[in-house]
Amino acid sequence: MSKWIRIAMLFLLVLLATDQVCAKEKDAAELYRCIREKILSVNDYVADVKMKVDVSFMRIPVMSAKMYFKSPSKIRLERKGGISILPKNSINLTLNSVLMETNPTVIEMKSETIRGRKVRILKVIPDNDQSGIVLTKLWIDDEQQIPIKIETTTINNGTVKMELVYGKYIKYALPDKITFYMDLKDYKLPKGVTMDYESNETELKKQEKTEGPQKGKIEIIYTAYKINTGLSNDIFNVKE
Amino acid sequence: MKLLQIELYKIFKRPRTYISYVIIAAIAFIIQLALYADGDTLVKFMLQGVPDFVVHGKIINGYFVTYIILQTLLVNVPLLVALVAGDALAGEANLGTLRLLLTKPISRSKLVLVKFFASVIYSMTLLIWLAIIGLVLSLLIFGVGDMISFKSNMVVIMSANDVVWRYLAAFAFAGIAMTTVASLAIFLSAITDNAIGPIIGTIGIIIIFTLFSTLGLPLYDSIKPYLFTTHMLAWKGFFYDPVPYSSILTSALVLLGYIAFFITTTIIYFNRKDITS
Repeated sequence: MSKWIRIAMLFLLVLLATDQVCAKEKDAAELYRCIREKILSVNDYVADVKMKVDVSFMRIPVMSAKMYFKSPSKIRLERKGGISILPKNSINLTLNSVLMETNPTVIEMKSETIRGRKVRILKVIPDNDQSGIVLTKLWIDDEQQIPIKIETTTINNGTVKMELVYGKYIKYALPDKITFYMDLKDYKLPKGVTMDYESNETELKKQEKTEGPQKGKIEIIYTAYKINTGLSNDIFNVKE
Repeated sequence: MKLLQIELYKIFKRPRTYISYVIIAAIAFIIQLALYADGDTLVKFMLQGVPDFVVHGKIINGYFVTYIILQTLLVNVPLLVALVAGDALAGEANLGTLRLLLTKPISRSKLVLVKFFASVIYSMTLLIWLAIIGLVLSLLIFGVGDMISFKSNMVVIMSANDVVWRYLAAFAFAGIAMTTVASLAIFLSAITDNAIGPIIGTIGIIIIFTLFSTLGLPLYDSIKPYLFTTHMLAWKGFFYDPVPYSSILTSALVLLGYIAFFITTTIIYFNRKDITS
């Protein structure tokens, strides 16, 4: 008798465990869908941005510009009269492009605590490689249901990490600040071409150590969003 | 003062003096035309080291073009300075007017100093001309904008409103550098009686020293800090971020030391020299 009870309990446990897994997967997919819907509710926006580039081989003042976005992936940075130097693909990795997939495989990983908030970690694997994204890892604020950290591995541009901070546009999942972290290649030009002046400033030399792969960080602070104003496509066709 | 005026009159009376201004204008114009027609190719080449980034905006503007002109011309302007300064004493000796000149009631030291200051004034007019042709004309043709400058291991972007003072400082420093060249040419001019010698000699020294300064070979690293050509490049420091002020000051002091050395040596030598021509 006891043998049958043990078998029955084991069966029940297996059943419960399977059910848990199913429930969890369903939650993850639903959470992804929920976030995606929130992000897709923004069809376009214009925002004033301040951009701070922190790359060891670049000295760039904080740039003020206007950023135009139109769903799904049109983006333009307008900086009248000025030069802007931007990472080739990171800036284009908007939330929309990262969450473009309608039917990806979503797997929930363990949960974590970031900035004192409980976050759930989702791995999103696209069902095709059209977007050039191989894998996206999302850290979702459980309470607000918005991504606060994203790690995207692309086919051509390595891995880009983003940290997002929200403010009064949180209901549109539009961040007040995004910090991009990226791996960069070394920068070198022949000294015979640039004819450098070699200074002795140790601080400068320390900053100029650019041997080997570099890490880069770009902070973008968004202010004064104008959302869903019906931006024309012509804005994105301007040649600079 | 009267002597200086006479020396300046002698310099600016000669048609060949004006060749330098024509050469500067020609080089600046060639660079402006090239950048106007095909500046993007140069920028693409300079930016090939940053494949992870894309640069938007008006890179080819007046400030950038001026930087390229300065980079090219500040290698050539010393040769033009040598053309006049090298002729200062040796030219008189060659013409046979030096002995006559020294019969006048002026000391030899004073004559050397007057020749030197006249050469310096000529060098400064070259730089002012370079500023007009390079900076003013480039700004008129290409307009104003943020400036991008390149080091072998760094890209620096400066806001448009943060550039003018850098050019003023760079031109001021270039003034010290050209004065160094003038003092070397005067020194060589004092030890020969033929004007070609000091001109070729100054040009040769500058070319060889510049090679040592810019080749970037570890073999020459130990002598580089002692060459004036290494320090003549310090004007570029004003376009770095942060500006290496203490290094620029050191370079300025080294150049001033060279000037003092060349002029003192010239005075001592010239005072002892047997003038036979």
